Amino acid sequence: MTARHHPDVVTMLSYAAGALSPAFAAVMSAHLSRCAECRQQLARAEVIGGHLLSRQTGLPLAEDAAGKLRARLATEPDDVAPAPPAEPVRHDPHALPEALRPYFGASLADVRWRWIAPGIHHVRAAGVTEDHLMLLRVAPGRSLPMHTHGGRELTMILSGAYDDTLGHFAAGDVADLDGETEHQPVTTPGLPCICVAATDAPLRFSGWFARTIQPLVPL
Amino acid sequence: MPPSVTPVKEESAAHWAGQMAAVAANRDVEAFMRVFAYFGPRVKRYLCGLRVSEPAADDLVQETMLRVWRHAAQFDPTRATLSTWLFRIARNLYIDSVRRQPHWIDTQDALERLDATGSELGQGEWLADGEVLERAIAALPAGQARMLRMAYFEAKSHTEIAHELDVPLGSVKSVLRRTILKLQVVLGDHK
Repeated sequence: MTARHHPDVVTMLSYAAGALSPAFAAVMSAHLSRCAECRQQLARAEVIGGHLLSRQTGLPLAEDAAGKLRARLATEPDDVAPAPPAEPVRHDPHALPEALRPYFGASLADVRWRWIAPGIHHVRAAGVTEDHLMLLRVAPGRSLPMHTHGGRELTMILSGAYDDTLGHFAAGDVADLDGETEHQPVTTPGLPCICVAATDAPLRFSGWFARTIQPLVPL
Repeated sequence: MPPSVTPVKEESAAHWAGQMAAVAANRDVEAFMRVFAYFGPRVKRYLCGLRVSEPAADDLVQETMLRVWRHAAQFDPTRATLSTWLFRIARNLYIDSVRRQPHWIDTQDALERLDATGSELGQGEWLADGEVLERAIAALPAGQARMLRMAYFEAKSHTEIAHELDVPLGSVKSVLRRTILKLQVVLGDHK
């Protein structure tokens, strides 16, 4: 599976710098786990970070820092545990990327979806206090209400696909949108489209129907 | 032709790779303390830039260095320079302990394992010559260099950078995008 739509390089820079909220970082990590190209881009962003780190003037450490460190080395056990072996590739089509499991569990099969509109279900991530993180499941061949986002949105397709003015988005692809993008995704017939989305502001729907359901659905 | 001896510069990647090899193979405390003396204060500067308090930064420097000691055998100089490795460790500990994202380190370890075993990507390509990168960064216009530092060393969101420099958010993103693409070309060209 090779993704065709990737996060913006500046979003990757924020990820590498540790500046993203957990919600956005989770979507980025999920995409990274499936995209070698972006892992390479992350590695490059880290090379730049490492370089900047090594070229700055240091700040003096606490007076006893070296002594303290030596003392701790002396009590360190000698046996260094080897890195655990790479996890075997899962072929469970419902398995969630590892980075999403703390929020939604291990498998899509166990997600407890909530109905929010005809053909649309969602579930919010547990324990996210900064920004919003949710799974969305949209029935096949369905057009979502036209909407904009008050702020940024980062969405990764987990299964199924959709089309909008930006192109065709299939499993692994990421849509990295700012507040100005207005779009109306239409899901591909056949399979429901399941995606994970981080947003920093609630969605704003612009159709009459959407406006009607909006007060009922705190997205 | 007389042999030309190039002395190993103190801050060269090869120099630090040598020190780390001694740490990994012989548990060489003195080599490790040299790494600490050079990088410890720099890691502290990085953490304080992220608004970590000084005592907490000192503690995180200790934790960072202990991780370097424990995992020295995993450091692979053909895949990363020591400065990149340290940046990653310090950043991960910061995100884990200060920003309280308990899943971050596990996630990063898992991502790293994905490429550890035979990836189709040429690993060596990440190992840009420090001097080439140095020149490219030095050649950046002042505004671009400033934004790059703010993005990395203050872990500022683009909205915060825009606010602080009093420029539109869109231009922060486009300047950062131009900067990072420029530097990536330098890194990519240096296979």
